[in-house]
Amino acid sequence: MLRFALNKGLAALLMLWVVGTIIFSVLFIIPGDPAELLLTSDGASASQESIENLRKEMGLDKPLITQYLEFLAGAAHFDFGQSLIDHVPVGETIALRLPRTIELILAGLFLGLVTGIPSGTWAGLRPGGSFDRTISAANAVLISVPGFVIGTLFIYLFAQVLHWLPAGGYVSFTSDPLLHLKLLALPAITVGLHLFSIIFRMTRASVLEMRTHDWVRTAVAKGLRRKLVVRRHVVRNALGPIVTVVGLQMGILLGSTVLIEFIYNWPGLSGYLVTAVQQRDYPSVRAIILVVSALFILINFMVEMIYSLLDPRIRL
Amino acid sequence: MPDNSGLNFKPTRRAVLAGIGAGMTAMALPGRVWAAEGKTLRYGLSTYPPSITPWNNTGASSNYVKLSLYRGLMGYDSEANLVPEVAESYEWTDPTTIVFKLRDNAVFHNGAPVTSEDVIFTFESIIAEDSSAYLKSSLLNIVKVEAVDEKTVKFTLTEPSAVFLKELANYCAGLVWKGSTQDDPIGCGPFTKTSEERGVFIEVTRFPDYYIQGEPTCEKIRFTAYADQNLRYAALETGDVDVIEYLPWAQFDTVEQSDTLKISSTVSPFMLVLFNVANDGPFKDPKVRQAVGYAIQRQDVVDAVFAGRGEPLTGFPNPPGSPYKLSDASIEYSFDPERAKKLLAEAGYPNGFSCRLLATSTYGMHQDTAAIVQAYLQMIGINATLDLPDWATRVKKGKEGDYDIAVHGLSGYYNDPNALWPLLHSGPASYTRSFGFESARIDELLEKGRATMDEAKREEVYKELAKAYFEEVPQVPINWRAQAHAMQKPVKGFMAFPGWLNSSSAYSFDVTELS
Repeated sequence: MLRFALNKGLAALLMLWVVGTIIFSVLFIIPGDPAELLLTSDGASASQESIENLRKEMGLDKPLITQYLEFLAGAAHFDFGQSLIDHVPVGETIALRLPRTIELILAGLFLGLVTGIPSGTWAGLRPGGSFDRTISAANAVLISVPGFVIGTLFIYLFAQVLHWLPAGGYVSFTSDPLLHLKLLALPAITVGLHLFSIIFRMTRASVLEMRTHDWVRTAVAKGLRRKLVVRRHVVRNALGPIVTVVGLQMGILLGSTVLIEFIYNWPGLSGYLVTAVQQRDYPSVRAIILVVSALFILINFMVEMIYSLLDPRIRL
Repeated sequence: MPDNSGLNFKPTRRAVLAGIGAGMTAMALPGRVWAAEGKTLRYGLSTYPPSITPWNNTGASSNYVKLSLYRGLMGYDSEANLVPEVAESYEWTDPTTIVFKLRDNAVFHNGAPVTSEDVIFTFESIIAEDSSAYLKSSLLNIVKVEAVDEKTVKFTLTEPSAVFLKELANYCAGLVWKGSTQDDPIGCGPFTKTSEERGVFIEVTRFPDYYIQGEPTCEKIRFTAYADQNLRYAALETGDVDVIEYLPWAQFDTVEQSDTLKISSTVSPFMLVLFNVANDGPFKDPKVRQAVGYAIQRQDVVDAVFAGRGEPLTGFPNPPGSPYKLSDASIEYSFDPERAKKLLAEAGYPNGFSCRLLATSTYGMHQDTAAIVQAYLQMIGINATLDLPDWATRVKKGKEGDYDIAVHGLSGYYNDPNALWPLLHSGPASYTRSFGFESARIDELLEKGRATMDEAKREEVYKELAKAYFEEVPQVPINWRAQAHAMQKPVKGFMAFPGWLNSSSAYSFDVTELS
């Protein structure tokens, strides 16, 4: 087990170094100059001299190899430098924004799990029943409509027509808990719907497969109550693939909640990444991608751990 | 075996409905409490200001916030008239010398009085060797700034300038206390920054010692960024904010017909075509560039891209609100494909040619305008391939001349033809000018116009410039586009400043009231 963890840890470090180096080089290959972009926002014209002076201030006049080594050295002790745009340490911004994205994903995941697993199980136990057919049809719609369309519809319905919720934005939980939850509601439901459709399908398919096994028949034959059979013998065994998919989705969502964040003005990490790319704020882009990669690797690692807990036959 | 009867929850239809009902009531109960908040003006920005350094131009949203914190010697009143701001009065003692008398009661946010020394510090920093200030190149005509006494300061210029005062009223000319550090420049504007959450909002609070008694009229302004234009509009409609900038064109009608909202709009920036004339391609010939001018049906762009909110621009982009009358049908384009084809034939391209048309996919209006221009060019035999990179790449390609023809949108910051200087006067390559284009005639006229103080004579100079603009073809104009703020009906005093002053509308925050 320890040996396994060590191996994984080393591999993770190596992967992070590769990711960091790729991202560093890609940023210098794609065109665009942060100094010029900052001084020419909204079509303003900036003199060449002003741009050169700002480049110097940003440290972009140093040789590439110096910049690369500084980046590696910094990253090694979690110092990602300052944003080129407003000089705030990048680590600080990530510490502020990452929890918001994670909060959004977890809230969505919670909604997805509490709705997806029971309904998937129910549908899987009675395939072809009216419940199964209704939810499966609704699910087909959900899976084909992208999140930003649902988001736009939600804002129109709940904010503009019904005036139940604000149109979007963010306040911290500490300054106004109720408003915080209200603002979280729509984006979380949007993420949750996406996860629901995936979890529902996985659960349904998995339960369908499990219920035909011999040991289920045996359990029923020996007189166990139906609920117990379902909970202990069907659902538990069906959870394996669901854990994998949920783990993968968590990682993917870390980078792809951007549309949801953008539509609802939720100031999370992926929204920051997009702005940073647009502004060519190199230190921020590098740091965010490194952090997201690290989390992705970590989640995968945890998925394997949970696997072995659920199914002791899988030895690490 | 544990007793798990408690887990046997049977969802009945009634229970579920009751639950949903209770949840929705809970969501709806406190209703719109967050909408009513005393005298805080809630302003919806189009983007979170990348930085709020007083002298760098980092975009329209930053400039709005900046004008609430920093003010310069000159400014605008709530009717958009040029007036002394931190200065109480000014006097030209000779054509190249101007003396400003500072207000006695003007103080910085740290309590220090505004003195001549602060003015000197500000302008010396702006034109310093290593400065990245927006106005640096414009203000290099300052020979020296001297203190006559504590509250009187004298500027000496290299030559007379008809626009010097307008430049001083720019949002990048705010006075900064001389003891400020680079990270914390202290200004003397009507508000001070009191709280901020990066990427979310900036809140400024009334500065009690502001030099104009009774202003500003609101207690606080909370600037919240809504990057998505539809969400920004939704936030206004739901009452989350009081004023929004850059109202989407598609929503103009809705706001005009609304019972609760109103609009303040002006015709401001213009869309245009730029050319790469550096290589020996077809666009080196002014006739080919003029052909492009005759090929485009401008009203189509206004209708399709800007929902009809704009005007075709057929000649010299004399800013709306400019004091000079420069229009003249003989030096303006019309939609005349035959003439365009004739011009192409005269230039030696009777069968047209192929080229690359650069715009950006970052801004829908640039992309859509480019698509229409492409279609019209097709009609006169020019096959343009669209190149639509993201904004950063587009800026770079424009600056390096990596295009044949480009669609762009531009504006100045005051309503005088001289505001076109950075867009027309030759200088180091810029994505805002046709690549490789230089005209001694245009340069000379711009210089002459700036140095002429007599209004009648200036008008003559700019008539000549309008002619040169048509004949030398540094750019082909397409249309003016409307720019609007939308706000709740009870908001009083805030208005979109006319024409190119639009970017200075934040001066009217001083008298904005929420009734």
